[in-house]
Amino acid sequence: MLSIKNLHASVEGKEILKGINLEIKAGEVHAIMGPNGSGKSTLAQVLAGNDAFEVTSGEVTLNGENLLEKATEERARDGVFLAFQYPVEIPGVSNLQFLRTSINTLRKHRGEQEMNAATFMKLARDVSKQVDLDPAFLKRGVNEGFSGGEKKRNEIMQALLLQPSLAILDETDSGLDIDALKVVSDGVNALRANDRAILMVTHYQRLLEYIVPDFVHVLAGGKIVKSGGRELALELEERGYGWLGIREEETADASAN
Amino acid sequence: MRPLPTLPAAFLKPSGELLPAPLLELRKQRGTALVDMPLPTRRTENWKYSSRYLKLTEDLATALPMGGSASNNLATPGYKVVFLNGIVVPEASEFPEFEGLSVQRFGDLSTEEATELAARLDSTLNSKFAQLSLLNTARFEDGLLIRLKPETIVDQPLFIIHEITAGATGSAYPRIFVDAGHHSQITLVEEFISDGSGAAMINAVIEFDLADSARVTSIHLNMEGNNVQHIGATGVRQQRSSWFESHAVGFGGPLRRHDLMVRLEGDGAECKLNGVVVAQDRQHYDNHITVEHIGTNCNSWETYRNIAADQSHIVFNGRIHIHQDAQKSNADMSNKNLLLSSGAEIDTKPELEIYADDVKCAHGATVGQLDKESLFYLVTRGIGRRDASVLLTMAFINELVSEIPIEAVRDTAQVRLNQFFDQAFQEV
Repeated sequence: MLSIKNLHASVEGKEILKGINLEIKAGEVHAIMGPNGSGKSTLAQVLAGNDAFEVTSGEVTLNGENLLEKATEERARDGVFLAFQYPVEIPGVSNLQFLRTSINTLRKHRGEQEMNAATFMKLARDVSKQVDLDPAFLKRGVNEGFSGGEKKRNEIMQALLLQPSLAILDETDSGLDIDALKVVSDGVNALRANDRAILMVTHYQRLLEYIVPDFVHVLAGGKIVKSGGRELALELEERGYGWLGIREEETADASAN
Repeated sequence: MRPLPTLPAAFLKPSGELLPAPLLELRKQRGTALVDMPLPTRRTENWKYSSRYLKLTEDLATALPMGGSASNNLATPGYKVVFLNGIVVPEASEFPEFEGLSVQRFGDLSTEEATELAARLDSTLNSKFAQLSLLNTARFEDGLLIRLKPETIVDQPLFIIHEITAGATGSAYPRIFVDAGHHSQITLVEEFISDGSGAAMINAVIEFDLADSARVTSIHLNMEGNNVQHIGATGVRQQRSSWFESHAVGFGGPLRRHDLMVRLEGDGAECKLNGVVVAQDRQHYDNHITVEHIGTNCNSWETYRNIAADQSHIVFNGRIHIHQDAQKSNADMSNKNLLLSSGAEIDTKPELEIYADDVKCAHGATVGQLDKESLFYLVTRGIGRRDASVLLTMAFINELVSEIPIEAVRDTAQVRLNQFFDQAFQEV
């Protein structure tokens, strides 16, 4: 599925990712943990194709194809989905218009017919309910006037709608109360499938109580410094990052997101 | 010092004599007053950014030919009057037959009616700010007097189609005066279109005189071709508790200048002025708006959105004048601008003159580009960069377009806007 080799990336001349290596197979759920400024969000943005970040070396392939040479929209059409940490509000573009354009673009890319309005509405309503969003929101502007929690649920709703092959979740748990966290987690768990990989970026272990990862990686100073199974997250919860020799304050200024 | 260029004398020679004597007399008086009128230059404050687009060459002074057949296929769900090259075409029109509403050509007015009208023409306009609207008064060959008796609520919109068929070079000067009696209501749609490729100029003036509690909605679609210069003015005078609402959608051209002047004379009068302008290639568009708060407790809201692509140039000038006795005035003006290319230019200027002390006056102007973060969000969902740009650009004006109260007009505007988007984003 996804293969990252020695990935280096920088923003405004400052190197954030300093040689990431990661292999994710279909069906797996990986969690990337790390202190603020370790480069977690940068990794998510680079994979999605944000050109504010410059890849200086390394390679990334998705199903054997070079991901880095593709434009953001092409990556999305190949099945990459990024659930944003801070989804942007776009007044004037309705969720309905946005999601229909999106799903039909993806379908067209796969050689499928465009979805008619009625089928789309039914599907959109169903997935909205799945993440406890009032379907009335579909008529409003994209994320317009949404609370932080609604924005996060909207991201997961989109993932459920678009059925990506690689879902990257950037701090999806931040700013959620416990009820919203459960709803979002149920949504993510519903995404788990044999032909899909999920990469979760998170600061806290809390989310992993609800979405149990197959692998946990610790990112610090732009590198993966430790990998393990689910138990690694628990150990981090108990002992903090200190025992791995990571000082949080040292890397905090490198935060790009 | 070199003498300033003046209006070529040929512009002051009207051709037809279709009008009753009092209007012929008015026309002649105006013509005399305009002899040697200096043309606006970049030193003329209200033409600073636009004078270079104004090309009043002598050959344009010729009246465009009368007759010919109206060829537009605009949807006009309502009453309809078609002007072709500034002259009403009765065969192409559907004059209203509605109790309390009268729509008369100037040529059909009695001497008494024409005398009364001659005294009211230009009364809503401040010639200091719309010098060239006076040229209309010196040159109109035909016009409409629209009168609503008190309490008349017109059942359908009245469409006025201004069509220019420019096979030859020349100009047209349609003129309209709307007299809305107290508590009357009407929606008036003006659509400006053209075919042909000859150089042409249209100088169109419409005036609205609203008695107490009258409600008028004016919709204005400016869609002529690149061969037509447009100089237009809308004058509005409002008495107590009246409401005037305008929705303007304009597409750029070689010269597009519209002056909208509203006088809130009666206490509690209100106006809402919405506008959208899009321009591409080397097109130009200039909206000059003046709202005068004269009575007390008057409200005005102005919302204009401009989108400039390629090497186009859009001008917005919003003047709010709150007179000394206009206490409890509330004036709100917003102008947002979107530049789609580094070669495009937008000049926006608020002008506030406030002489009363108990007033609320808010204004804001912004000039920006498409938001990168929003664009990235859309493309991460597979939407192509071009489609995403179109979505965001439409979002910039959607709200104003959706407020246009007649669906057929919204559709007409949207079709043209879609053509604009298709062309503006070809290169993206």
